[in-house]
This record gives sequence, structure tokens and C-alpha cells, in this order.
Amino acid sequence: MKEVVIISGKGGVGKSAISASLGAILMKKHKVVLADTDVDAPNLDLFFTARLRSSKDVKASEKAFINCEKCTCCLECVEACKFFAITVSDGAPVLIRYFCEGCGACSIVCPEGAIEIKDMKNGNIATFDIDNAVIVSGELMIGESSSGRLVDEVKRAAKEEAGRINADLIITDGPPGTGCPVISAIKGSDYVIAATEPTPAALSDLRRIFDVIRHFDLPSGIVINKAGLHQASEDLIRDFAKQNGVPILAAVPYDMSVPEATARAMPVVEAYPDAPASKGIMRLAGVAEAVLNEGGSLSGIFRR
Amino acid sequence: MVDAGLKGRILAALHRKPLDIPIIAITGGKGGVGKSTISVNIAAALSEMGYRVALLDADVDAPDDHIMLGITLEKPLDVTVNVPTIDAGKCTGCRRCVDACRRNALFQPGDGVPILIGDCNGCEACMLACPEDAIRKERKRVGETYMSERDRLLLFTGRLMPGAEESSMVVNALRNRLHASGGGSDVVLVDTSPGIHCNVINALRGADAVYAVTEPTPLGAHDLERTLKLLLAIGLRARIILNFSDLPGPREKITVMAKAFDAEISCELPMDDLLLKSHVEGVPAIIMFPDAVNSTSMRRIAEDIAREYLQ
Repeated sequence: MKEVVIISGKGGVGKSAISASLGAILMKKHKVVLADTDVDAPNLDLFFTARLRSSKDVKASEKAFINCEKCTCCLECVEACKFFAITVSDGAPVLIRYFCEGCGACSIVCPEGAIEIKDMKNGNIATFDIDNAVIVSGELMIGESSSGRLVDEVKRAAKEEAGRINADLIITDGPPGTGCPVISAIKGSDYVIAATEPTPAALSDLRRIFDVIRHFDLPSGIVINKAGLHQASEDLIRDFAKQNGVPILAAVPYDMSVPEATARAMPVVEAYPDAPASKGIMRLAGVAEAVLNEGGSLSGIFRR
Repeated sequence: MVDAGLKGRILAALHRKPLDIPIIAITGGKGGVGKSTISVNIAAALSEMGYRVALLDADVDAPDDHIMLGITLEKPLDVTVNVPTIDAGKCTGCRRCVDACRRNALFQPGDGVPILIGDCNGCEACMLACPEDAIRKERKRVGETYMSERDRLLLFTGRLMPGAEESSMVVNALRNRLHASGGGSDVVLVDTSPGIHCNVINALRGADAVYAVTEPTPLGAHDLERTLKLLLAIGLRARIILNFSDLPGPREKITVMAKAFDAEISCELPMDDLLLKSHVEGVPAIIMFPDAVNSTSMRRIAEDIAREYLQ
């Protein structure tokens, strides 16, 4: 079983649209689990007629709690917190919970033992059945933190589900950015597809995401989405790929069919199978399949 | 549960403003809906109107505002955290630092001197726990902040180092740099990262007005709802900007949601190749194509802001 993760650095270049279409193509030939690790904005299930099978709460966060009765307002905790999560109001410490990382530094310095670190529920993981596959999707609760640890849990749940249905492939839709949820999403995967679009901003973010991919030494390739949008940027992406020895897996033409399919809540390859973008994603699927099958563990390729 | 009095104090602390300058935030749950494009255009429009604008690019994972403005980043400052190095001469192997580290980043081989093997976020709990003063602080760079000036526009950019996880440290450093720069601007615009996580909340602190950008697709509607819930939770009211407004999607979902959250849809921007052209050229649309429909709409947002907050 193999896991491929799709990330982009910049948001909105088409991670979820490509993941959904790639999933729709590959699930016809393989047993597939789709994992949505964009826990801030999980959207993958919206592309399918997804039936919710189960949902479970996840406690993957810790927060400090100040016991006002024991607190003598010495304010040592304010100084100790490197995340500026404790401020002073009317002479008393107030914890701004959104910024608390649960590190426990405050509870170490508190001479009164007035601060306790507690496990917090910070999200949930939903499992959906769709016609030919399973979607495992993580959602961060409003105002909660530790999205990286939640992503770890989503990946674990997706692996379990893959084991249960004997899947060949996990396709993971990653979060935008380069920070901790992205690092959690790509760690331990077999292949990373970096999605980009030919704009200067997306190229800048592509360079950044490759610094992360290289940091974890993962095999990877690029898909240029919205190809044809801006030739000069596209040339620069190709130069970047060549200089860094990264393959361009496919170019998906700029095509209004993609946002229109998304607006209709369908993968573009299902809504408009003959659209130029659909052809491009089909090429991507073929290349991805070949890459992932190196070594033969994508056994379903022979199954049909 | 948090009682109402405490919740009020938390929100007051959250939104405390070190500078007495109006703060306008542009946010959105979904990536790629146009937060940065809209931010740089409003900034350019306000600057054109004669106001001194501080634009905070708080999407430290993927900072792009300078690219869209054609600005070269200037005046870099490192953002660092302190990670532990343990002095073998002083360490007694008591293990307290290992137990203090809730990320399990310290490992003690046998009963020897602990070593840092995992991801350290610089919380310094280990240093506080050590009874022997045996832990030395070593600086680790996790990002940079920049301050770049052009005409009346002061751009503050935060950049997380790729591979680093400490984006909240970079957002804090960015806010501190803005505050340290003093009150030289008439207005602060904040471009947040996508999503609803703590960095978005950090960027929204003290905002006088929040524009939530979305698109009329099922994804846009779903993510807008999460943004509106977040804003409600932290006591901020939203105005909605509907970008790509002519996409044939579930518009009514967004209209209904706006009503439910008492948020007005203050602007609609149809799809427009000119926006795209200005985006790739690194010149805001309101300057490159001043007469385009969307330029007029975005200029109107700037005028609204000026009328409400800058008189």
C-alpha cells in the first residue's frame, strides 16, 4: 500500500480539485482511501455523494487551566509563557486559550500549583463511504489548536481504514502553507505531488514547499494546474523543476470547467470528462500510477 | 466552561490594541479565494487616497503580498526561539527536563545526559524544570520579518522558515514589529492566512472590521461558515466579499448564511481576466486597470473604510 500526498504551499491552486479527480480516476482501478488533512477547511467530501459512516472526537491538544482560587497573582506564569498566551487583566493572569500550546512552562513556575494542563478535544475525524472508496476527513474545532497533531490522527485513521479494506492507495489532500500541519501531512508518505499554478506568487510558494519536501527527503513531482495562464511564470516553473531534478508529472490546462465542476460539487473528470483539464488530470493519474507502482506494491494495477 | 465574565476578560485581552490605529482584517477559510489580491488593492487604494497604510502580510506560511505589489522585501530581522543544549558537567541526570517536555523532544540515553532529538518549539519548559541550571539556551532561527516601504505604504511581511513549525512565533514577531514601528500609519490592514487556526486568530486581534472573502461554491460556502463561526466566537463581526461571484454555484447558501450570522455581503467581484493580469504583473489592478469594474468595487471598499474609520 502506498500513500501519495498533494500539497501546494499557496492556497487555492487546486489541491482539493485535483485530489478529488485523481481519486475519482484511480478508485475505478484500485482500492483507494481518500484522506483530507486540510483540517482548517476540509472540503474533499463535498466533491462526492458521501455517506457519513462514523465520526469521532479527537483529543489531540493540551491547554493550561488556571485555578483562580489557588492563584495569588504572582504573575510568574506570564513571564514563563513564550507564546504570549497569558496576559494580565486587573492584576490577575488571564489565559488566552487560543495561543496556549499546552507546553506546561507556566505550571512549572507556578509556586501555588494553581495551573493544570489538561487534554483538550480539538477536532473530529469523519469517515464517509462513497461509491468506490472511503474518505477519512479531519476537522479542527473552531478556535482550537494543534492542527499538526490532529493531522497525525487523520493519517492514522486513514491507514487503519486502508488496512481494513485492504486498500492499495491512500490519496491525501494536504493543507495549504508550509507549517506544522503540512509537515505532519507529508511525513511518512511515499510520494508528494506539489500542485502549483503559473503565477509569480504560486512559484514563490512552490520554492518554499520544496525546501520542506527536501528537508524530509521525500520523492516528489510537480503538477502545473491552470497551465497556459501565464507563459513566463510557467517557463520559470519548468526551469525550477529542471534545476532541482524534479519531474513535471503533468500540466492541467487552465479551464473554466474546473471551477464550474467545483461549483456543482463534482470532480471535473466526472462532470466534464472531455474537458481539457480532465484530460490533463487523467495524464497525471497515469503518471502517478506508474510512479507509485515502482517496486510493485500498488498491486491493484493488475486487478482491473 | 468559561463563565461570561471570564470570557469578556479573555476577549478584552485578546483584542487589546497597543496602537491606537484602526485595524482592518481580510480573512477567509478557503485558500485562493483572493484574500491577498483584495488586500493589496485596498491598501493601494487607501494609499492613493493619501492615507499612510501599514499592510501586515500575516500569511507567514505563504507570504505573497510583496509579489503582488512588486515590492522587494527589505530590512530583514531574524525570528528565533531558544532550544536547549544540556551541559554535561552540570547535569545530574535527574530527568526533570525530559519529563517537562510534553512534546517528547528530549531523550535520555540510560541515566546519562538528555539530548534533544525531537521537534522543539522553544517553550523553555525544560530550562524552567532543571534544578541545576544545566541547560544552555541556543538560538534557533524559525523565520524572518521584513519591513518594506514604498510611498505611503509600509509592508510588514512575516516568513516562516520552510521546515519550521513555529508559525505562531513568526506572527507574534510580526505584530511586535508593527507595534515597535510606532504609530506612523493612519490604518493597519491585515492579510491573514487561510483557515481558522491560531495564527488566523492572532492576525485578527483587535480588528475594527473584518472582511471574510469567499466564493459561491460548495467549498466556499462550507469554509465561510467556519470563518463566521470563528469570528462570532472571538467577538468580531464580519462583512462578506463574494469573489468570482458569477460562478454558477450555490449562491443562496451564502446569502442565507450571511443573514443567519448577521453579516452583510458588502461587495461582489465577478471573475475577471484583468485581475489575473495585474496579479501576474505584480501591479495592483486598481493601478494597472483603474477603470475595470472590479477596480471600482475595490476602491469603493477603501472609501467605505476611510469614511467609517479614518475621519
